Amino acid sequence: MLARATRFAATPPPRDLLRDVCVVNLFFEASTRTYTSFALAEQRVGADIVALPPGSSSLGKGETIADTALTLAAMGVRVIVTRHPESGFPYRLAESFEGHVINAGDGRHAHPTQALLDLLTLQKEFGEIAGVRVALVGDILHSRVARSNVIGLRALGADITLVGPQTLLPDAMARDGVRIARDLDAVLPHVDALMLLRIQHERIAPGVLPSLDDYARNYRLDARRLALLGRNAIVMHPGPYARGIELTEDVFAYPGWRYAQQVAHGVFVRMAVLDFLVNASTRDANPA
Amino acid sequence: MSALLIRGGRVIDPAQNLDALRDVLLRDGLVAAVGERLGDTDAARECTVYDATNAIVAPGFIDMHVHLREPGHAHKETVATGSAAAVAGGFTAVACMPNTEPAVDSPALVAEVRRLAQAAGLARVYPIAALTRARAGAELAPYWQLHDAGAVAFSDDGAAVRNPRVLRHAALYARDVPGVFISHCEDVELRDDAVMNEGVRSFELGLAGAPDLAEDLNVARDLLIAGDTGKRFHIAHLSTAMSVELMRFARAHDIAATCEVTPHHLLLDDARFERFRADAKVNPPLRAAADVRALRDAVRDGSIDVFATDHAPHTAQEKARLLSEAPPGFSGLEIAVGAYAHALPDLPLSRFIALLSTNPARILGVPGGTLALGAPADITIFAERPWRVDAAAFHSLGKNTPFDGADFQRRPIATIVAGALLMKDGTIVRDVSR
Ligand SMILES: [Zn+2]
Ligand SMILES: [Zn+2]
Repeated sequence: MLARATRFAATPPPRDLLRDVCVVNLFFEASTRTYTSFALAEQRVGADIVALPPGSSSLGKGETIADTALTLAAMGVRVIVTRHPESGFPYRLAESFEGHVINAGDGRHAHPTQALLDLLTLQKEFGEIAGVRVALVGDILHSRVARSNVIGLRALGADITLVGPQTLLPDAMARDGVRIARDLDAVLPHVDALMLLRIQHERIAPGVLPSLDDYARNYRLDARRLALLGRNAIVMHPGPYARGIELTEDVFAYPGWRYAQQVAHGVFVRMAVLDFLVNASTRDANPA
Repeated sequence: MSALLIRGGRVIDPAQNLDALRDVLLRDGLVAAVGERLGDTDAARECTVYDATNAIVAPGFIDMHVHLREPGHAHKETVATGSAAAVAGGFTAVACMPNTEPAVDSPALVAEVRRLAQAAGLARVYPIAALTRARAGAELAPYWQLHDAGAVAFSDDGAAVRNPRVLRHAALYARDVPGVFISHCEDVELRDDAVMNEGVRSFELGLAGAPDLAEDLNVARDLLIAGDTGKRFHIAHLSTAMSVELMRFARAHDIAATCEVTPHHLLLDDARFERFRADAKVNPPLRAAADVRALRDAVRDGSIDVFATDHAPHTAQEKARLLSEAPPGFSGLEIAVGAYAHALPDLPLSRFIALLSTNPARILGVPGGTLALGAPADITIFAERPWRVDAAAFHSLGKNTPFDGADFQRRPIATIVAGALLMKDGTIVRDVSR
């Protein structure tokens, strides 16, 4: 998938890779960046796009999940790109849909295309991912980005450290090849890539965090902490980032800040996923 | 005058320390004789004969924790379909929880449940009444009047009584009312919006999990309230290793408390939680493998008193909803006997029967639980006979079970209530004489 995305980034593919393939974007949760990135990718591979306005879809409400799948299949839809606030929704949808389902983020569970674009960013930077020291910082427990990245990074042999306070990163999340650290300052000198995660205000009300300032004391990336990083270390963020909370303005001037590259890679990765699902699987199904 | 002779079975009655090949004669709804070769006696002439060769004859099984859904949720189950499921599953009696719509919190509603059970004419159905009015956790239910109407126990099952002051006053007021308090132990704040157990598995799946602590804290609280007030408590559906430890602590301190375990908590752990389906969603949730082992050990060493299914029927459509919206619970009556034996194949049969009959009868204070002369002629006959669960064939309206297709070794083959054979080889027999 990464090779395919790299190819597309180097040479734009013909715009008819998905000619006459109907793709629907079924977003139950607002997401400007991911939505736009998928829409661009779909256009660049020439798919017919049905855009159900985010949030306004009645599908999935009164209808059962299976009804939704059947309705879309009857309309000739072959690919559903879906985002949903509930973990597992795309899996439930895929059970009753004969076409392809692409998970654009489900609950706290997974965000596979985000992980792929992060992996592509790391690969471009370091050549290969095996052995690259990656630290993910912040609200790991509620982060689908973190979960998918851990799966991808483990599969490709990266050295993984998760960093955050206990309420956002339970001890039990440690596993083979995944270290847990509480002291960001101690981790910073020993990483090649730092992935910051979004911290949400909503974590304060249920008593998971005392305040964003208290969180920032230990985990906000500022000028002092940037100086602790190794010389070629890069900093990534899935966006949207919150200035003054998980990072300060200093990060934007840091030479290793890779946010723009991540966003750019997103489109190529999503083109690759669409092409892979529709064309690779068609070839498999109909050997010439 | 109806009489039934059960011939040639291995009769096990823990209440009398009996385990021997015996015949059992039932007459006029009561146990009339237990002895050898009763078929040769005059008394046994002209009675119907049930051949129990190679089978075990036990006092009728009682499931003290079922949800029959009436009034209010007849699309999930009715008292009639639920009591059919009971006799099909080998149960002669069930005690049904009051979390209906409305909640069974008045003498009239207790009477209504009994009337529905009478009309069904199958298993005995003992209503459990709400512990607080409307199960709202604020005002005490009228315990004496509910008792007079036929309630055998009190519970706000489905949720814990949130306010410990309310529960303490309820326990003090109701101390001398016959009828145990049954506690559903889950701290609602700690459970929050959990859909499964909190642990490695919930972290992996990105699902909200309920920590063991949500149960343990409430078990500890209710046991201490039992000790403080002197009211008898029964802790429903233990699911954690710590809950078992807390029960042992209570026993060691002479606190009057008993407890139960379900088939699913004895057999399944949270690894079962696959593909984000609600098939495995239940409260309290399926826990870790170590908890399953601890619960089995607790049955073996006598720390757990009762097998109870927490039979919770729902429609297939309800269970097919998204995980966060699907209701918790499993249909349990028709898998129970096979499932308990599957979890604990080494458990001595007399203990197996004590957990299914002797103990629940004693805890609820209802007739039965023994084959002593003059006891109600409620009998469960079962055999070591391999069978496969087929949820579609359940008598219960709820086909929701994680055990569909499972292979079990022990099977109830006859259910006799008040001397009438109501189930034979899985088929419900309508006795016209009743
Ligand atoms: Zn309960
Ligand atoms: Zn229950």
